[in-house]
Amino acid sequence: MHMLRLRPVTDISLGLALLARPLHAQHAGHDMSTMNADSTARSSAHLMAQAVPLITHAAPSAGGVDQTQFVLTQLVVMARAAFLNNHAELSAAFNGEGLTMKRGELDTGAFGEGFVDRRHPHTYVHELMFTGRGVAGPVSWSATGGRGFASFGTDDPMMRPLDKYPVNHHLSQILERAALIGALRVGPAIVEGSTFGGDEPTSPSSLPLASRLGDSWAARATLLPVAGTELQASYARVASPEELTGHGLDQHKQNISARITSRDGDRYLLAEWARTVERDHDRNLDVFGYETALVEGSLRAGPLGIAVRLEQTERPEEERLADPSRTPRPASDLSINGITRWRVATVQVAAPSVTRGPFSGFPFLELGRLAATPRDARSFFTPQRFYDTSRFWMVTAGVRLRAGDAHSRMGRYGVALPTPH
Amino acid sequence: MMRYRSAAPFVVLLAAACSSGDALSLGDTTKVFKGTPVTMTVLGSGDFKPSRTTGEIFVRGNTAYTTTWNNAGAVASVFYIWDVSANAPTLVDSVKVDHATTLGDIVVSDDGGLLVVATEHAPGSIVIYSLADPRKPVLLSRFSNSGTLPGVHTAEIGRVNGTLYAFLSIDPSSTPAQLVIVDLGDPAIPQQVFSKVIGNPYVHDTFVRDGLLYLALWNDGVAIWDIGGGTPGGTVAAPREIGRVKTVNGHVHNIWWLEDPVTGSTKYAFIGEESSGQVFVSSSGDVHVVDVSTPSAPREVAYYTVAGAGTHNFSVDESNGILYAAYYNGGIRALDVRGDLGTCTAEQKSIPLNSTTPLCDLRLMGREAGIGLLDSGNPVYIWGVQYLNGAVYASDMINGIWKLRSMVRP
Repeated sequence: MHMLRLRPVTDISLGLALLARPLHAQHAGHDMSTMNADSTARSSAHLMAQAVPLITHAAPSAGGVDQTQFVLTQLVVMARAAFLNNHAELSAAFNGEGLTMKRGELDTGAFGEGFVDRRHPHTYVHELMFTGRGVAGPVSWSATGGRGFASFGTDDPMMRPLDKYPVNHHLSQILERAALIGALRVGPAIVEGSTFGGDEPTSPSSLPLASRLGDSWAARATLLPVAGTELQASYARVASPEELTGHGLDQHKQNISARITSRDGDRYLLAEWARTVERDHDRNLDVFGYETALVEGSLRAGPLGIAVRLEQTERPEEERLADPSRTPRPASDLSINGITRWRVATVQVAAPSVTRGPFSGFPFLELGRLAATPRDARSFFTPQRFYDTSRFWMVTAGVRLRAGDAHSRMGRYGVALPTPH
Repeated sequence: MMRYRSAAPFVVLLAAACSSGDALSLGDTTKVFKGTPVTMTVLGSGDFKPSRTTGEIFVRGNTAYTTTWNNAGAVASVFYIWDVSANAPTLVDSVKVDHATTLGDIVVSDDGGLLVVATEHAPGSIVIYSLADPRKPVLLSRFSNSGTLPGVHTAEIGRVNGTLYAFLSIDPSSTPAQLVIVDLGDPAIPQQVFSKVIGNPYVHDTFVRDGLLYLALWNDGVAIWDIGGGTPGGTVAAPREIGRVKTVNGHVHNIWWLEDPVTGSTKYAFIGEESSGQVFVSSSGDVHVVDVSTPSAPREVAYYTVAGAGTHNFSVDESNGILYAAYYNGGIRALDVRGDLGTCTAEQKSIPLNSTTPLCDLRLMGREAGIGLLDSGNPVYIWGVQYLNGAVYASDMINGIWKLRSMVRP
């Protein structure tokens, strides 16, 4: 019987995400190289702070009126540290959006956690995960616990090139959950399994409910066929995410993706498909389904960074409150007002950074064109009825301010972070 | 005490005697034929199709009130007042209710003096009007407190030992759902007399009659409380639970406890299950029949299901033993509910969805008497129904208000 023994991870190339990288790729604003560079790091700590002051004009948005918002978004402090000869890791992200954007970030099409056409503020404790890791023969392993991302789907949009979150955020990521995650890696193959509480946050100060721990699970398989290329498939069963008592609809989620990054990090491409089926567990029936397909990429063109995202995502429509950007949480029944198919094209151009010591700023301009159609024309909710149009514009100008180097990828832990080139 | 929305004994005879103009007579009604559901006759639809989405309905005399649902915050909510003396309801007036996006319930007191409207979401309240002139409601008061803040989903009213009370089902939010009981003895100064966190996760509706309060507690089933009925000694301020039952698949949304004036039976309560749906398009959920002859041990004995549609609110023509159920995209369903509903042959039983125990199936028992509003070719989405004086009135989220001919026994 093969004995499981710990040995120093620093002896091998599995590595951690603990590096203060040079800023060569950040001049364009899209630092995709850092997204997988952590895995080769040897240093033992990494600290980064970020904030994005921006102005967005959306024509129209919720309520069918043009809106302009100046807001400080993505206010976050991230830390990663390794201990015990890299057998133990800490990943932490503290998010201040609950202070700076209580009403959410204007983002037509976005939905989740009681917000609609605005991206919800994240919880103050966005991520606090502890990982233990080791190697047993050809297998490297890790075990992670705390609050963070379940092993499902693609990276958190905050660590991707565009500022505005895609509509599919809540179809493709499971975030801010109390989770236990196990991961194994053999050569180019990674498998993860996690158990977590299905309850999603209801406010920035929300904490996971002890009574919900372990009522949900996810599994993800990742293949790294060649350097810089990553293929992923995942499945999750999430118990009643929107109803804390557990009596809401469950979600069965699927996600597949392919991701390519160039060695220098200047080019990045992600393609994903995901599906969430809502299930009435009392009646044992699937009742609603939402699909998404997304392609996004970035490259450097001289001094400029250019990022593009194309997305088609189906969004559930719910009753709106007096504030048309909010929906009741929890809802008072199990019905929805319709399903809207959003097609979104977003382009971002980022200027060279302004850097002083550890501080840097990346000005950017982002333009989005959106189209929305009801999946069933008979629905109560139609874009024409609610917005008085089915076509939308959204333009955003802002500066991504950072102290310290960009954080690594977000949504994976331990050996599930792919090895870089 | 009897809740006004229920049909009083002799109401049909009264309607025949007191009707005027083109109101219905007994001879106009459609007869119930065992085993063959008939198409209910539509008498007319409102002369005004609201651009707002219609919610609940209440009818008293020749006046109907319909609420509106999911209004934009900027335009507040309204309820409409209709003259229903003719076959086609005509709009008389509308009343604006500020600080509300949805008026989910509306009810008139048994003496016709008060109109109570529930508002949601935050700041939830009930708005109380004088109906000295039924076509011109006059605002008396608005009751809200920290308990009602999340939103009042439904407000039923009933008289207990001579005093009028409102029974409010409060939405959950950051606080759990709860029941609030308000004394309307002085409607200008309503007073809360009881509140309790209840329901899992909701309390959706209540039904009060003869000092008993039935509570629709979603996945906690149906609870029966004594609030002044006598035996266990409960009061409105200190209710005592008598019994509780969980119906198949939970999602207990609304209740009607039947008092049949002809047979004297008080054996059955009808439970509406509201499951998932897409507004204007689909719905789901069955009617469950609970034998409450032993209130301390109620048990489900029968059910009724419609493929592709689900039930919402009920109204019962008790003098004729006909239950009318709003069925959203399934229109209106009229069920013969007189007699023994819990005894049937093996061929008249079926197994409810997601269950293993066969129950009497009202359709297989030939008790599906009529179907309404599915014959026009246009989609409907029926929220509420009310039987009154030989007619059935329906609130349609898509089209507004309908008036149909009721059914009687041959």
